[in-house]
Amino acid sequence: MSDGTERHRQDTGLHQLYYDPNIENKNLAQKWLMQAQVSPQAWQFCWALLSPDKVPEIQYFGASALHTKISRYWSDIPSDQYETLKTQLFSQIACFSSGSKMVLTRLCVALASLALNTMPEVWPGAVPEMVRVFQEEGGGVDGRARCLALLELLTVLPEEFQTSRMPQYRKGQVRGALGREWGSVCPLLQQLLRQGDSPGAVKSRVLRCLSSWVLLDVPLSESEGLVEDCFTALPDPELFDTAVEAIVNAISQPDSQRYVNTLLKLVPQVLSLQEQLREAVQNGDMETSHGICRIAVALGENHSRALLEQVEHWQGFLALVNMIMFCTGIPGHYPVNETTSSLTLTFWYTLQDDIMSFDCERQAVYLQVYRPVYFQLVDVLLHKAQFPSDQEYASWSSDEKEQFRIYRVDISDTLMYVYEMLGAELLSNLYEKLGRILTNTEQASSWQHTEALLYGFQSIAETIDVNYSDVIPGLIGLLLRININNVQLADTVMFTIGALAEWLADHPVMLSSVLPLVLQALGNPDLSISSVSTLKKICRECKYDLPPYASNIVAVSREVLSKQIHKTSQCMWLMQALGFLLSALHVEEILRNLHSLITPYIQQLEKLADETPNPSNKLAIIHILGLLSNLFTTLDISKQEDESGESTAPPVKTAPLPPGPNPVVVVLQQVFALIQTVLSKWLNDSQVVEAVCAIFEKSVKTLLHDFAPMVSQLSEMLGQMYSTIPQASALDLTRQMVHIFARETDHFPPIKALFDLVTSVTLSIFQQGPRDHPDIVDSFMQLQAQALKRKPDLFLSESLDVKAVFHCGLLSLKFPEAPTVKSTCLFFTELLPRCSDVPPVARVVQENGKLLLQAVLEAIGGGSSRSLMEQFAEVLFSLNKHCFPLLTVWLKEALQAQGFPSTRVTTEQKDTFTQQILRERVNKRRMKDIVKEFTLVCRGLHGTEYAAEYCL
Amino acid sequence: MAYQLYRNTTLGNSLQESLDELIQTQQITPQLALQVLLQFDKAINTALANRVRNRVNFKGSLNTYRFCDNVWTFVLNDVEFREVTDLVKVDKVKIVLPHSSTTE
Repeated sequence: MSDGTERHRQDTGLHQLYYDPNIENKNLAQKWLMQAQVSPQAWQFCWALLSPDKVPEIQYFGASALHTKISRYWSDIPSDQYETLKTQLFSQIACFSSGSKMVLTRLCVALASLALNTMPEVWPGAVPEMVRVFQEEGGGVDGRARCLALLELLTVLPEEFQTSRMPQYRKGQVRGALGREWGSVCPLLQQLLRQGDSPGAVKSRVLRCLSSWVLLDVPLSESEGLVEDCFTALPDPELFDTAVEAIVNAISQPDSQRYVNTLLKLVPQVLSLQEQLREAVQNGDMETSHGICRIAVALGENHSRALLEQVEHWQGFLALVNMIMFCTGIPGHYPVNETTSSLTLTFWYTLQDDIMSFDCERQAVYLQVYRPVYFQLVDVLLHKAQFPSDQEYASWSSDEKEQFRIYRVDISDTLMYVYEMLGAELLSNLYEKLGRILTNTEQASSWQHTEALLYGFQSIAETIDVNYSDVIPGLIGLLLRININNVQLADTVMFTIGALAEWLADHPVMLSSVLPLVLQALGNPDLSISSVSTLKKICRECKYDLPPYASNIVAVSREVLSKQIHKTSQCMWLMQALGFLLSALHVEEILRNLHSLITPYIQQLEKLADETPNPSNKLAIIHILGLLSNLFTTLDISKQEDESGESTAPPVKTAPLPPGPNPVVVVLQQVFALIQTVLSKWLNDSQVVEAVCAIFEKSVKTLLHDFAPMVSQLSEMLGQMYSTIPQASALDLTRQMVHIFARETDHFPPIKALFDLVTSVTLSIFQQGPRDHPDIVDSFMQLQAQALKRKPDLFLSESLDVKAVFHCGLLSLKFPEAPTVKSTCLFFTELLPRCSDVPPVARVVQENGKLLLQAVLEAIGGGSSRSLMEQFAEVLFSLNKHCFPLLTVWLKEALQAQGFPSTRVTTEQKDTFTQQILRERVNKRRMKDIVKEFTLVCRGLHGTEYAAEYCL
Repeated sequence: MAYQLYRNTTLGNSLQESLDELIQTQQITPQLALQVLLQFDKAINTALANRVRNRVNFKGSLNTYRFCDNVWTFVLNDVEFREVTDLVKVDKVKIVLPHSSTTE
């Protein structure tokens, strides 16, 4: 193809890319152009594309192609052509300095890339040369345009360095060389910034250039003068943003902490901005206050330790801290009136950490100064955490409300941390404030104020043990005095009580004060989440002290449940709370309460079971079954003895462990027939079956061996369920039963019968095509693996077709669902070790093991997801450990086939893989590495940067 | 550079599986796949940093800790996680935290 047609094609391609409305043409053009860009011809055509008669889009493509070639295909260029290329680029930049900005930037990036490839050996003094070339008059381009072009070039040079991919050793070399170039850049920038007649555009570009260079870790002492100039630029609105950026970048360099003297000089500079800050805040100029705050925070956050250590300058640093405090407390509500205050929160952590890391003596000195500051911070934060007026809050968008919530969480985290420094005195302080506003009869306080103080309490009590604070009883007294006239306030009161649950467990005498509040809130749908979660926390932590209140709690709960005040998930939490509560009662009491609690539901369930199935009664059934499962999840009388033994509570509180059956078992046996009736109608609905299985699963988990009386009953029901309509949840429950009961002689027969039955039913699913049931296959493989692990005897049974199970495993290995494949691999890794002690397994593996190996190799060859390679490596490892002689033969035979397991691997690579595999019988980690390596080769990913980045 | 530790999440793994498939069928180049992955790192880091404020408290006994290559690792035993209403007990927990000064 001639040069002319090639260029024409590019023009057309670019035209299509930018202007063609047809997306397919666009895509085609894009693909073609990408290829053209990296082709060897690109070196020639890109210059032509830059010609002045082209439109900027085409010129941009030319410049971009040049950059791609220089940055990625540098080795294409013979070294004797470096000079020409450089000259050409300089002249193009000069041309475009008064042309299209985007093309100019691209060309600068290309020249920067060239400079990085050639410095320091081939092109020493690159920067001085750039400066010299652009300072020369000529080319019909005016001085200002040349100056801007030079600044652009100098700005992109460090940026290109940061993004370029060069080897580590080269990176160090170039960084060093660039660092030395700062000597030429710095005076130039300073001169331009200080010249009174420099236009704003030039100064702004200078500031950007400085931002770019300081990121290279140029010593702060050397950029000190320039940073000072940046402060002078701050009053100029046109330069404000870029100046802030440059100052923040310079201060935040990790290396800058070494230049303490410079930092000390910066403190008064930053303090001098306070007037501008106040003015901005007064005028509601958010941009300016934000920018100044960023500067103050950058200095405080990055250098608090260094500045704290300069003891003789303590007043300056304290003033800086106060300035940041002003920013934290900036007037107005976050995020509607201001967004600055959140910038400061990290600073307070850093300062605290630095103070607390000093040795005791010095710490004490600093604490004298800074404890009052942190007390003030708490006031400021709690003020900022206050809700706005109801009317204002109602006008906020949901997004703003969410941001405010997040902001409050951040404040809460900060308070929690500050507690580490201020200790119990912080709680006393909050308590006094709360007391003052609640007992002040002359002036009514706003609910917002009360809420914020409580929020502060809650933030601390939620995570920190407040046991040694003596104000909690008083706080609870105050809680009772609060006139709760607002939902947010009521929520916070509830959460505060919840946060005190552990404290209440140690001070049960206070339960009588708070419980009425919680039980009352339980009836309010607006307080659903806070009241239910608080009750649950109290029931969990204080169950041994709750028996006197149990009947009341149960009665209120029953009422709110029957009135349907709460949403489903809160109803479930409430049942869990009641489970905790009942666990600590005497058996007769448990049974009595259980009956009064569940009877309405049982009656409802009986009624529902009679109705013809429809979507609404299905939801009702699932809801009731869910309530039961949640109740049985936490109702655990077995822990009565050991848990109370741990605590210091007197043993009188616990009920002696009853000799009779567990109350949960009693209830389960009573409702068993009803559940069977429900099932008979809903057997083909997986959600109902799941809900039924969940009841037993949760009960088995808590009851463990107490569940024994029901094993044969449940096994029979599960068998019937599964043979009518197979569902994964039934298999999962079977697995749990195998896990707990298969080893017990008494229970082995029903478990074995169930295991045989579900296995044969599942085998028939496989015959009909298992693809539609990956969940069943997954659970089935897990069940088989569990059986092999807990009771391999199950595989000795005559009625179990081991060969068929093995073949099912082979099919399952090829499923696209990763969890199913994982479970199948687990099955095989459990099966192979049994070759030695379970003859039927040994026979099957001997006869069919080669098929397993082939399936594994196929998966490694690209058939399965790369994230599963560890699991396949485990199977290979197990084969190697338990069937070594056979594996040697099978591997040879399997890999002989041309193009197997991938067309991308050569015979030599396969041989190496075989040798590596056979050698690895001890180190599983190594086996995984071998498999991962080989799979990359098979998939054509070996050696790509993408695969190297992949971190599985 | 954004942290890459979220590649090992369900979302990240699914993305990588899809990219693998696209490479194997030669629909995209490994270079493009890498760009997508880097973009994913950026997006998920930003989203997790800015959009999530759910809080879980936990306590346990510290077994080992180390700070290596700017990454903190803590191994905790007998850990209790508390969310709003749930309490989960775990025998062993490993916490991996990249140091914040290396974030963007």
